[in-house]
Amino acid sequence: MTMSIKNIWRIFSPFWLLGPIFDKELRVSSRRKRNYVLRFMYIALLSTILFFVWASIVHISGNNLFQASRMALIGQEIIMFIVWFQFCATQIITIIMLSTSISDEIYNKTLGLLMSTPINSFQIVMGKLLSKLLQLILLLVISLPLLAVVRIFGGVPWNFIISSLCLTLTTIIFIGTLSLFFSIFSHKAYVVIIETIITVIVIFVVVPFISIVLHEILDWDRIIHERTFIPAIFQANPYVQFFYNTDRLFSPNSRDAAHFFWYLNCGILAVASIVLIAISTILVRKVALRQATGQIYLSRKKKKRKKDSNVEYQESSTKIRKVKDPPVIWKELRTPMLGKHKKFAMVCIFLTLSLLIFIYWLCARERVLDDPDIHSVFVIAFLIIGTFFTIILTATGITTEKEARSWPILLMTTLDDRQILFGKYIGTIRRLIPVWILLFAHVIIFSLDVVINPLSVIQITILVLWIVTFLFCTGVYFSSCFKHTTTAVIVNFVFAATIWIFAPLLFFILDGFLHISGMQGFAEYYVDTNPFLHAVVIMGANTNTSASSYNWASFSANAFMSTAWMLACLAGYTFIGLIFAWRAKCRFRKNIF
Amino acid sequence: MIETKHLTKVFGNLTAVDDLNLFIKQGDIFGFIGPNGAGKTTTMRILVTLMEPTRGHAIIDGLDVSRNGQKVRRVIGYMPDFMGVYDDLKVFEYLEFFAAAFSIERSKRKSIVEGVLELTDLQSKKAATVDSLSRGMQQRLGLARVLIHDPKVLILDEPASGLDPRARIEIRELLRELKRMGKTIMISSHILSELEEICDHVGIIEHGQLVYSGTIEEIRPRLGIHTKVRVQVADNQEKAIELLSALPQIHQVQTNKNYISISFKEGENIDGLIARTLVNANLDVIAIQPEQIKLDDAFLQLTKGIVH
Repeated sequence: MTMSIKNIWRIFSPFWLLGPIFDKELRVSSRRKRNYVLRFMYIALLSTILFFVWASIVHISGNNLFQASRMALIGQEIIMFIVWFQFCATQIITIIMLSTSISDEIYNKTLGLLMSTPINSFQIVMGKLLSKLLQLILLLVISLPLLAVVRIFGGVPWNFIISSLCLTLTTIIFIGTLSLFFSIFSHKAYVVIIETIITVIVIFVVVPFISIVLHEILDWDRIIHERTFIPAIFQANPYVQFFYNTDRLFSPNSRDAAHFFWYLNCGILAVASIVLIAISTILVRKVALRQATGQIYLSRKKKKRKKDSNVEYQESSTKIRKVKDPPVIWKELRTPMLGKHKKFAMVCIFLTLSLLIFIYWLCARERVLDDPDIHSVFVIAFLIIGTFFTIILTATGITTEKEARSWPILLMTTLDDRQILFGKYIGTIRRLIPVWILLFAHVIIFSLDVVINPLSVIQITILVLWIVTFLFCTGVYFSSCFKHTTTAVIVNFVFAATIWIFAPLLFFILDGFLHISGMQGFAEYYVDTNPFLHAVVIMGANTNTSASSYNWASFSANAFMSTAWMLACLAGYTFIGLIFAWRAKCRFRKNIF
Repeated sequence: MIETKHLTKVFGNLTAVDDLNLFIKQGDIFGFIGPNGAGKTTTMRILVTLMEPTRGHAIIDGLDVSRNGQKVRRVIGYMPDFMGVYDDLKVFEYLEFFAAAFSIERSKRKSIVEGVLELTDLQSKKAATVDSLSRGMQQRLGLARVLIHDPKVLILDEPASGLDPRARIEIRELLRELKRMGKTIMISSHILSELEEICDHVGIIEHGQLVYSGTIEEIRPRLGIHTKVRVQVADNQEKAIELLSALPQIHQVQTNKNYISISFKEGENIDGLIARTLVNANLDVIAIQPEQIKLDDAFLQLTKGIVH
């Protein structure tokens, strides 16, 4: 009895949890430049946002008495921006930081090594999680003085600051555990990041959405009233909780907010995190023991396949395919479309298609498929999905070869750099077809149904063509610059977000505050090159069966002029893309080991 | 066939290759030896056009590697110290892919791939996926890949590392076969005794500098390593040691359980001296056998073992 109490005490003792793994992680992270860059970017972004928020609030003219009377409101608004920024930014950083936590140990074969020491899998999981969380808490602590200073303005109760911090903390713990969980299965950080994001979307967006729709369709109102059902569905949702928590700050007597309890949400997320930690601990132990005993295969099925390998060699002798010229294109086209985990990919495709069919059915049931706006929403959604995957897949071309160490061998052949580049382009296009097919299917089907003007098919084709070409060129450039796929993918993401989201915002903010002459015109022209605006304009003009006026940010034009503008954008982006491709070609034989 | 002139490669503060001058004749097997971080792999990467030298020149088959990358790649086959694999390709497809990459005519590819598979004894594995092969098989596949375009020069970076004794012997035999085929081979390895058996010339490198280049036999006088012989007598070993120790030509006498190891002073004529001395003393001589200089000895003597 005394022994078991001692063991329990030992396991939950902070000294035991903060053991060698925790210590090692802190040491390693202190040597990584990227962590300092991350902290700097966090502070810089927070300060910039704070400056603009401050400027936008105090910009209103008035006498000193009026300004002083507004101080409480200013305090509330600034604190709201800070806590929302913390809430969003720390989640992104958490996903990135924990995306390689276990996979690094598996990939470097140190997990099996750890199993030969007294350290157990729980200590490994907790050591990894706590060390990263400590760094994230540090980020939250950095902004505490700001919160404290702004609170002096008045109007912000302590309860709001505490509840926001608790919600942020439990959300990042949950998301961090999710990222750590996925890192057991994949050594590619970007795959883990995507899996975590998709899971979060499914849990907190798709499932509640389907639940609400089913509640309405199946008339569950008789069993459970909508006013009870919806808060119950969203009680575990930190985003909705955070929204109502902020809402409570501005309208303390809000009736909707009264149904949401932040501490309940914190409790739910904490329990979910504990469950995930327990599952991760079991899985880490399994993987570690397999590695320690020299078993490389995770599943029994693969192990069996290896056992029967000799039979397989003979059986598959007929399956050898003839290499066709050019060889790089042949190799790229030979790569399985569904990757190695075919069944998993099939399940994902099935679920996605089911969800899509469900949404279309819902739209048809509500008779909104004739509504022009709904098609803009569909097109924008498909465009975002397509662009998201294009950014990822284009940046993996060279780095995956570098990680597989086949890149120097390929460069040792007499293949021309252009041949390699072209082969990669074809391979990327082929892998992107299933992603973009959703967009084209929607536009073509509804143009056949005369809901969308057929001209939009051509215009959407032009748009997709330049997005893919441009992102391929930037992706291949970043892929040639970096050794790791994850770095290339993240940089390609940041680059795309900078030119298509942050830069337009910055121009408009600068125009709003500094009133620089010509800035507005420049900003409008700049926004006219934005792919998402292109989609909005195309759909806005083409969903009334007869092509109407195209309302761009800086001008209005007819179909011919607008198509000409789109072609000009295609030429411009392709030209810039080719510069990136040329730089990538120049860098092909640099930094290859 | 392979020549480097004042070849230098600098990475920041580190000079990985420092004013390296090498010359390897056509048809030779050149052993490139050095401790870890000595600059062997960097030199090889420059030679195979995967790295640009900071200073100096590297010439292969009369072509400057920095200026004629494409032409140089046609005459060399490079096997790095790692195996770059394409996960989903089968052995035959992998080799055919590289045959196509080297612009070999489509009609000839199949026979060439079959040929290199036979040479490397991999026919039974041609339908296996590359990543399912054992380490030894992958090394052989690596060799098959470098032979696919029939290069004149083979540059092999530690081809036997991590292999079991049987696989090492097989690789050694394969290299001998390639030498018979007239290939010029530059090979680096840490298993020095293996290089000793197959190399015509060796180069010992440390801190990026070539500390020795020449034949194994030439190392001895250059380093002052004494010629050794092993003597076995039927009985009275003590008397034999006493007699031999007294000879002025002898540098050192060491006793072992079954034999006496004798090293001579440099430049001394040893022909018949030991036999005459022992026979004149009525001792029954069973064997007098010259001891070969071991490459490991030369390596240890030439290098300080300081890692960069």
